[in-house]
Amino acid sequence: MTEAPFDLAVEGVSVAYANGHLALRDASFHLSGGTICALVGVNGSGKSTLFKSIMGFVKPVSGHVTINGAAVKVALKRNVVAYVPQAEEVDWDFPVSVADVAMMGRYGRMNFLRIPSATDKTKVEEALRRVSMWDFRDRQIGELSGGQKKRVFLARALAQEGRVILLDEPFTGVDVKTEQAIIDLLRELRAEGCIILVSTHNLGSVPEFCDQVVLINRTVLGYGPTSEVFTEDNLSKAFGGALRHFHFEHSTVQDHDGRAIRVLTDDERPLVFGKDGHLEYKDREGREDILRQREEET
Amino acid sequence: MIADLLTPFHYDYLLKAIWVSALVGGACGFLSAFVTLKGWSLMGDALSHAVVPGVAVSYILGLPFVLGAFVAALLASGAMVLVRARSRIREDATIGIVFTSFFALGLVLISRFPSKVDLKMILFGNILGISGSDVIQVAAISALTLLVLGLKWRDLMLVSFDPAQARTLGLPAAWLQWLLLALLSATAVAALQAVGACLVVAMLVTPGATAYLLTDRFGRLIWLSTAMGAFTSWLGAYLSYHFNGATGGCIVVLQTLLFLVAFTFAPKHGWLAARRRVKQDWTPPLDT
Repeated sequence: MTEAPFDLAVEGVSVAYANGHLALRDASFHLSGGTICALVGVNGSGKSTLFKSIMGFVKPVSGHVTINGAAVKVALKRNVVAYVPQAEEVDWDFPVSVADVAMMGRYGRMNFLRIPSATDKTKVEEALRRVSMWDFRDRQIGELSGGQKKRVFLARALAQEGRVILLDEPFTGVDVKTEQAIIDLLRELRAEGCIILVSTHNLGSVPEFCDQVVLINRTVLGYGPTSEVFTEDNLSKAFGGALRHFHFEHSTVQDHDGRAIRVLTDDERPLVFGKDGHLEYKDREGREDILRQREEET
Repeated sequence: MIADLLTPFHYDYLLKAIWVSALVGGACGFLSAFVTLKGWSLMGDALSHAVVPGVAVSYILGLPFVLGAFVAALLASGAMVLVRARSRIREDATIGIVFTSFFALGLVLISRFPSKVDLKMILFGNILGISGSDVIQVAAISALTLLVLGLKWRDLMLVSFDPAQARTLGLPAAWLQWLLLALLSATAVAALQAVGACLVVAMLVTPGATAYLLTDRFGRLIWLSTAMGAFTSWLGAYLSYHFNGATGGCIVVLQTLLFLVAFTFAPKHGWLAARRRVKQDWTPPLDT
């Protein structure tokens, strides 16, 4: 299913609220697939506005978004943009099953009556098997755990065969095992040439699976490879006072690096700077080389 | 005795009215699936009252009542949007103000021209007694609604469940929402003839709410609510012949009975099932 590399261009996009204030000012960045790119910024920094302009929900007052050179509207008609919503946005009491939700990814490819073809059914089964949710296909979506819920909506994006996949806070309410499973899946999709844009508070996991980062605070402060952009300086700039800093001295961290480290956290999972740049603090044991490996992969 | 029970079936006009009533009930039942899940109950109530002045004007001028009802529904929706956008008043208050204003205007018009419009008919409906041309309008609206819903229910389900997904797939989400609202207005008008302005909201909510207690699948929910709407309306219209024409009352009482049965005995979401679960210290089937 590997096609020509996909390309997402956001050029000088400004978006205004109804009251005339700018939610986003002159935001620009380029991504081409496959990549996993983190979208990092405080609440109210314009992350969701940026998502909305990529999905064509808001019309920029200036600038434009193009996907493979085509306007967003055209890209949507081709079903190339897939969106995995936050858990809070979903009505979990709605009477639909796991398979029903995955099938919703196929609607754009169905006929006028939206009656699933054999291909649609195969794609849904493949997608659900890929996220290990096939055995739960007849469950009502409210009867799933947090991790399972997330995987159902990922399956929908897979069934849709989206090439630009937007994920909003994919790790909130998700157990560590599922988080790892999601990360593995995203890396497979990257290998297939997809552009994956992940909006996240989870700074600690960013260096582990994102090869690029877009830093945002009402505009794009910087974008590029994680190792260049996701630095302490830039993060302090992006988050201003909203980021908690913890400075641990030698005595507290002997077991780790034998020297000082600094912890930056915006949410539950902290970002730790140490000897080799970014380190995953809590799961570090036995995975000391993971960042080096990731770098070689991309 | 038996001959008595069969009387309605010997009169063509009664038989026709009973079947038209079932058709209206089916259309309302189908739509009630969306109304309950979207939380549009108040909207349905509002529209059923807001069309009253339109219906009154149509009768006064001798026009098809559908025309006046349509214009009134349009004006009412417009007024709600306007008040909502231009003031700090909340949505439920806005709906409350607009629909009572329209309804009040309707009452004034009707009392001014008592010979042209029957207030009792508008408030309580009279499907067994309405004229031939009105029956045709009611039947046409209901059939059209059923047709549109039958063809596009999957799109409407997606828009109700996840409008963002509908839009990312390039579906005309806003247009589909309007379609649903238009169908709601249309069925409110049709149901007005069957059960009257006061009870329309029951037709647009109860079957869907009952079905929601009985199933976790949207497709099945639609079948159940449509079937319940049609069945209760058929039986209610038939029974009302023996009860001197309180058609609306009969239909809605039957719907309420079904709701109570589901509320108590529904296998999974019923009251008894919930109690059983507590007793057995039942835990939801969660796993990671």
